Amino acid sequence: MSRKSLVIIRSEFVRRVTSKMFVLTTLLAPALFMGFMAITIWISVSSIEDSIFSSDQRSHRIAIVDDTGTLGTQIIAEYSGAHTLVQTDLTSAPAEVLAGNLDGYVYLPEGVLSGAADPVLHAIDEHEFQLQIELQDLIDQSLKNNLLSQQKVDPEIRKLLSRSVRLGTEIIASEASADEDPESEEGYFLIAGVLSMIMYIAMIFYGTLIFYGTMEERTTRVVELIVSSVRPFELLLGKILGIGLVGLVQMAVWIMMVIGGLVLVGPVMSLILDPGIVDLFEQANDQELLSAASISLPGISVELFIWFLFYFLGGYLLYGGLFAIVGTMIDSPQESQTLMLPLMMPMIISLVCVSPIMMNPQSSLAVAVSLIPFTSPVPMIVRIAVGEVPLWQLILSAGLLIAAFWGSIWFSARIYRASILMYGKKVSLKRILTFCYSG
Amino acid sequence: MSSLSLEGVTKRFGKVTAAENISFEAKSGRILGLLGPNGAGKTTTIRMIANIFNPDEGVITLDERVVGPWSQAKMGYLPEERGLYKKLKINSQLRYLAALKGVSPEESRRRIKYWMDRLGLNEWGGRKAQELSKGMQQKVQFIAALLADPELIILDEPFSGLDPVNSEVLREIVVELKQAGRTILFASHRMEQVEQLCDDICLIANGRLALSGSLKQIKQQFTRDKLVLEYVGEIPFLDLMEKAGELKFLERNEDGCILHLTDQCNPQMILNRLTSIPNLELYRFELLQPSMNEIFIQTVGEKG
Repeated sequence: MSRKSLVIIRSEFVRRVTSKMFVLTTLLAPALFMGFMAITIWISVSSIEDSIFSSDQRSHRIAIVDDTGTLGTQIIAEYSGAHTLVQTDLTSAPAEVLAGNLDGYVYLPEGVLSGAADPVLHAIDEHEFQLQIELQDLIDQSLKNNLLSQQKVDPEIRKLLSRSVRLGTEIIASEASADEDPESEEGYFLIAGVLSMIMYIAMIFYGTLIFYGTMEERTTRVVELIVSSVRPFELLLGKILGIGLVGLVQMAVWIMMVIGGLVLVGPVMSLILDPGIVDLFEQANDQELLSAASISLPGISVELFIWFLFYFLGGYLLYGGLFAIVGTMIDSPQESQTLMLPLMMPMIISLVCVSPIMMNPQSSLAVAVSLIPFTSPVPMIVRIAVGEVPLWQLILSAGLLIAAFWGSIWFSARIYRASILMYGKKVSLKRILTFCYSG
Repeated sequence: MSSLSLEGVTKRFGKVTAAENISFEAKSGRILGLLGPNGAGKTTTIRMIANIFNPDEGVITLDERVVGPWSQAKMGYLPEERGLYKKLKINSQLRYLAALKGVSPEESRRRIKYWMDRLGLNEWGGRKAQELSKGMQQKVQFIAALLADPELIILDEPFSGLDPVNSEVLREIVVELKQAGRTILFASHRMEQVEQLCDDICLIANGRLALSGSLKQIKQQFTRDKLVLEYVGEIPFLDLMEKAGELKFLERNEDGCILHLTDQCNPQMILNRLTSIPNLELYRFELLQPSMNEIFIQTVGEKG
């Protein structure tokens, strides 16, 4: 890299990082994020509390109107929940509901036992969804028990029938990866998801900065002075690396602040929650929480981490270069908004491919998308994480990514030089190609 | 001693030929006026000299070496389309521009201070460009062109938008730089400034070289066809000559007149006839050199 590019990187980096805007967004974004998290936690915590304590606070008085003769008694006998269940008859039930003595009544028609009719819950408040589910499960269970009793089924068989099967998974792996956790599939999704999310968010944030950055010299008309000192290639390379560095620093600060914030979440939650519930969270460590959600993290090796960094930086810079190509063609950032989505398309496509790639990491689809530079970062990381990737594919993919980045800068530099000729003129593809050719 | 030379330089953009077969030389210690109507190819020529574009044909050399990134460091350029980074402080942007030319930080600090003081901007170094008036910004851009202590200085309309006081300050600096042996390229539409400053002239019209040489030579190429007379008395034969189409009155008042002489008219003959008029008091008989403005209009008119 030339000395001039280094001068540009330094200048772009220093002037952006020391700007009030940078300091403000760097500090405010996590504050907003933490506020958002706090609200989310507060809502979920209060719903946990609701579901735990609702039995005490919102117990209902429900009557059973039984036309089957047996089921009603059985339901009341088998019920052990927080609601109060009583038996009554069809004539008095509606009046008692209206008088407020009952919250509702369940009518069990005769046909329920034979499957010819369904029970109905009559209530003033029709939105008691949870109550409805609870009663439905209760009636369902009692009905099954009733049938089993009638058929005089062995209690052992009853127990077996009540069991539900869970399908486990096990990956048949080659020797090299045999020691890996067979249940780490969700973990790979997590890695792929994190990588693509970071890249996607980074591009949405810094894409606009790159748009502004590549337009700056032209809109301020300082461009001619600059290109009489540096080649457009050096200028754009310096700008993209400089702005890219600003983005990386900002993200690093945010990540540190979020980690710091998460450390504080425990004490914050203890302020909101009852001590009993906090115990539950304190006892469970991260691993247990993840396994509770049936996710287990695959062991992230140093090698995988290095590739992760390489593909993140490579993808980040390549997309920076693509944004620069478009940035050099447009005159105002407003125009950039409509171009954002088409630019992000390859990344979205690569994300869609993650699932098929995980199922078959050596398929031609997997090989193709992990070699093409515009889609390669996410799929290649998934393939490296899931299993063996032939060395030639790794080298080719990495080489293509670097070449594509370099190519994007070269191309945007050609356009840049051509755009100097076109102050105030509408930039058409034909003009650009003409000028690029003759530049 | 550095000199800039263009030999047969041609540049095309698609089907448009912006500059065709342009050759001239700018010598050190002299100011070359680069003239031409709008869209004639001046800016394209300057951009090729500044190594922003490469010529399709021909060679541009500085000190007998083909221009390239190396020569950008030895060149200061004040473009016609000019601006500054709006939000950047003046000192920071000058330091940045100097660093791009390869000037060391200490040297650039020293030079910035010198020029900012010289142009009366020392109070403004810490301000953002957008806080400065247009004239001040122009002075900053002028400083930017000088920071690399360049051998070749290209000034495209350096005085446009400047008040007379600041124009004079800049003019003095340009003359100083010339005396210090720098090669200066001066592009302008203001012919009186060209006449006042330039030693050599290069006129481009329709992408081609229309005139080139020293100001003196060029003026000599054009005949002295304007006659100024101041007198008291009557000169009857002038009216007869006008009727015969030999001359034309450009101005006429009680003190005298200004005449345009055609090819059929010999000024020596007029002088002879004037001296033979009795009672005529002749105070002034002067054949004027054509002004640069007239040469410009005449040449461009012919070519255009």
